[in-house]
Amino acid sequence: MIKINHLRKEYPNATPLKDVSVEINRGDIISIIGPSGTGKSTLIRCINRLETPTSGEIWVGDNCITDKKCDINKIRQKMGMVFQSFNLFNHLNIIENIMAAPMDLLGKSKQQAYDDGMQLLRTVGLADKAFNYPDELSGGQKQRVAIARTLAMDPEIILFDEPTSALDPTMVGEVQTVIKDLGKKGLTMMIVTHEMRFAREIANRVFYMDDGGIYEEGTPEQIFDNPQREKTARFIKRVKVFEKDITSKNFDFIGFNTSLEEFGRRSGISQKSIYHMQSVFEELCVQIIIAEMSNEFKLNITVEYSQEEESILMQAKYNGKTFNPINSDNILSLKIAQNAAESIEYSEISEDEYTNLIIAKIK
Amino acid sequence: MNINKAINERELIIALEGRLDTATAPELEAKLNQSLNGIEKLVFDFAALDYLSSAGLRVLLSAQKTMNKQGKMIVRNVNETISEIFEVTGFSNILTIE
Repeated sequence: MIKINHLRKEYPNATPLKDVSVEINRGDIISIIGPSGTGKSTLIRCINRLETPTSGEIWVGDNCITDKKCDINKIRQKMGMVFQSFNLFNHLNIIENIMAAPMDLLGKSKQQAYDDGMQLLRTVGLADKAFNYPDELSGGQKQRVAIARTLAMDPEIILFDEPTSALDPTMVGEVQTVIKDLGKKGLTMMIVTHEMRFAREIANRVFYMDDGGIYEEGTPEQIFDNPQREKTARFIKRVKVFEKDITSKNFDFIGFNTSLEEFGRRSGISQKSIYHMQSVFEELCVQIIIAEMSNEFKLNITVEYSQEEESILMQAKYNGKTFNPINSDNILSLKIAQNAAESIEYSEISEDEYTNLIIAKIK
Repeated sequence: MNINKAINERELIIALEGRLDTATAPELEAKLNQSLNGIEKLVFDFAALDYLSSAGLRVLLSAQKTMNKQGKMIVRNVNETISEIFEVTGFSNILTIE
């Protein structure tokens, strides 16, 4: 149905899509998830040519829409788009909003457009609002009208660009229900969304976008329950990560602690746990590990905070001879570090240049 | 960290504000080295101290040793976080905490 070959989209200061190749089959319902700025919206905006790709090809059926000779307006009739902001005509009432395009573009008679429009309003549960104006509707109702308007063009494909993110939380459900119902009708849909439960429930395929492309794709079960790649897993578990490298004994200790504290505050970690992270870092890493190091070394600190599991894991990787800090004779520092952590585990590793690994579960 | 000093004849009160850690402990150590001469009572006020590490404990221990010879040392207004550090390190047995 849609075939994308080596799609690339560059802006002057960013390249959200580096090289995307994917095929979308008739009847697919695809949820597109991922962090902000990873090209999710850019991808679907390229598919209906609201954005012009820098290079690559997009085929919709037998038409190459990236070809300059392609009549994009004709393709767009088969391809509806629902935006975050509803883009209704405020000077037209609801049924007029829905009738406009079928009359202008499909050549439907006024009566036909009206009858079909009313039918669509019934499917989105808003037949009683037909003669109201957009200003008289709630956000959720406006978005349902926008969906009905898209359906009025009888599209084969509907692209949704964060259809619920401008809505009050109480109205998200009604719009999601309408979109789910459409899915049952066999329409091909691509939905950019931040609502993970919705993304999971509606789709048969999930694209996780990161690093300039579709970083991982799979069934909802694969992506949400058993992601294979690191960034997907982090995103799914909503893990927040702090990472810093230390390569000199004269590193900026105050700066490190300040950024660790800022990370903790941003992530909603309690002040007590922030102090515990700082204690483990200072006692274990600074007072014991770095004290043991010669002048040149590499120490990599990461902190992973999972809101879902309410766990804070601090990991320290360092090079040099194998050295388990738990065996240090700096009992004072060890006691403070051990008090700040539920567990501290050491292992020898061989990963890049690192030979030692400490994982501390912070209290 | 802020170090506020008040001297009353042979009594020295040091109020610490902020963090006493690897970065700031040397500063306190230097201040104490200059100030303990002739002092018979040293009081630490920790009401505004947020964080304490082993580096700070070592300075406190050294001050305690000095004061054992010339008088006494008292630590006051210890919050819960700092108190926990004193407990787990056994410093609550070494220091006089009020």
